[in-house]
Amino acid sequence: MGSSTTPRPRIRVRLPVARPPADVGAPSFTVDGPLRGRTVGLRHEGSWRSWLLIVDEWQRYLRDDGAEPEVLLAKGRVGDEGERTRKDVASWAGRVDCGVTGLGTCGSCTSNSVSDAVALERLRRPAVVAVCKEFETHARNMASFLGHPSLKVLVLPYPLEGLPAGELRDIASAYYPRFLELLGATR
Amino acid sequence: MSGKNQVDGRSERDARPGKSLKPGKAKRDKRDKNAAGTSGGPDGRSAPRAAGSANGAYELTAEVLEVDDDGGMSLYEASLHGGWGDGAPVLAATDDRVHALLAATPYPGDHVLGALPPRFGVATVELVAINAALAGVEPQAFSYVLAAVEALLVPEWNAVGLTTTTSSVSPMLIVNGPARDDLRIDYRAGCLGGAAGRGSMTIGRAVALCLRNIGGQRAGETSRTVFGQPARFGLCFGEWEERSPWPSLAERRGFGAADEVVTVHGGKGVFPFADVNNDDPRDLAYAIARTVAFPLNNWFLELTGDSGQIVLLLNPMWARRLGEAFPEAADFQEYIHEHAWQPVDAFRPANAEILAAKGRVDDKGRVALAARPDQFVPVVCGGLGGLHGAALTTFVQSEMQSAMALR
Repeated sequence: MGSSTTPRPRIRVRLPVARPPADVGAPSFTVDGPLRGRTVGLRHEGSWRSWLLIVDEWQRYLRDDGAEPEVLLAKGRVGDEGERTRKDVASWAGRVDCGVTGLGTCGSCTSNSVSDAVALERLRRPAVVAVCKEFETHARNMASFLGHPSLKVLVLPYPLEGLPAGELRDIASAYYPRFLELLGATR
Repeated sequence: MSGKNQVDGRSERDARPGKSLKPGKAKRDKRDKNAAGTSGGPDGRSAPRAAGSANGAYELTAEVLEVDDDGGMSLYEASLHGGWGDGAPVLAATDDRVHALLAATPYPGDHVLGALPPRFGVATVELVAINAALAGVEPQAFSYVLAAVEALLVPEWNAVGLTTTTSSVSPMLIVNGPARDDLRIDYRAGCLGGAAGRGSMTIGRAVALCLRNIGGQRAGETSRTVFGQPARFGLCFGEWEERSPWPSLAERRGFGAADEVVTVHGGKGVFPFADVNNDDPRDLAYAIARTVAFPLNNWFLELTGDSGQIVLLLNPMWARRLGEAFPEAADFQEYIHEHAWQPVDAFRPANAEILAAKGRVDDKGRVALAARPDQFVPVVCGGLGGLHGAALTTFVQSEMQSAMALR
């Protein structure tokens, strides 16, 4: 008497996931020249005191290198303040020759920093987003999701918040050359 | 000032963007910019038609998976293995079940609601229906899922920020309208959890699954949330409108009493409180105001307090007492706003210095929690144990949105 196997009943279900978007890779840009005479944007959200200090330091360095820093406070993302932020970012991106946005040291602030760096790249401006190490992957993911996978990411130590001002100044000094390198700018 | 057309948060104009699910109106409004600086959502929206007629011959396009029909275990394991579940068992999104959901909406299956972050996956009505099928949403409740997804796609809800933040914030759905009982939307005892109404449990879960499966939100990966929260499994409850001394939340946001409305709040969590010490309702309101102004509230992190809302859940017993003292909701909101502050010396000097630098300290040495009364949003719900309240605290950078459920 031979054995027979009854096939297991099967069901067909639909998968709930969205198909990945088509691969898009917007270009990134570099200065490819000296910093002198250029307007360099520095964008912050007003939240992270460590980044504010670094922005302060870098303004001085940039002036020493013959560039003109232009600082942007990009805070609110919703309501009237959000509307102002979007206009301010667009206007700032149009005025500067290149820039850095930051600081990515939380989830939403990384997303927002990437988004504002993308605003620069959309205007064909060399752009860098500054994030702490812990949020590097998130920044790169968000840049890809926004269609700008080659956005340049300046990775700073984590955490920065809570470090003494002296240590932050040392970090500002140590990472300034890397910032210029990512921009493709020479001194 | 109160009444039917009072709008809780800000102006009626601001409340309207989410109220776009109108038959015959395939609106291209601010939601198209939801990609928040992205390359944007897809075009080609299709207009809604009468429910049942839009999807009669619609062919599903989502990928098919075959699993053993073994009581759901293989399906469950496939969801875990494929990363498209939420860790709990899911129901089978068979073609029949998905078509039943699509038949309950005036929108065609290929209608695009928008691009859901963080990955900006395209949320078609079909994909939302599949996620709703996984969660067990009844066809007559499907329009609430669609309305909630529409609402959270409004740029002012800030889905990019909320899906990627380190915060625990999550969409919290508040339902108004005559169908609450039919759909088993919980608004009485245990409405935030434990009442086990099918509508509440499935609608909330379906929206959370949409963020996960269409938006690609994953804790520790695309979402940097530190703790998450139970509501990330889904939170949906109703307002006990009949026990509210004021017009319902939906009415205050410009909808009619007969409208079926979902309001989506970006809530950091459920912050419970209790009181048995205040006989005067104004004293009770004072205590609520001071309680929600706790020093580590997100609002104190901000340069200003002029965005976001906090939802104040009032049990019906408190609501009756407060309604006697504050005949208009706006009076209650004004009073709460007036007393929701901290003295600057509640903060340590270095912290106080930062608040002062942000301009948050007034000439009386007070740090106001929020900028306006309408940011304090009362909602009546819960059981009749008259000593408990709760707040759904705010992420701040998110404005609650409402949308009408169309069937």
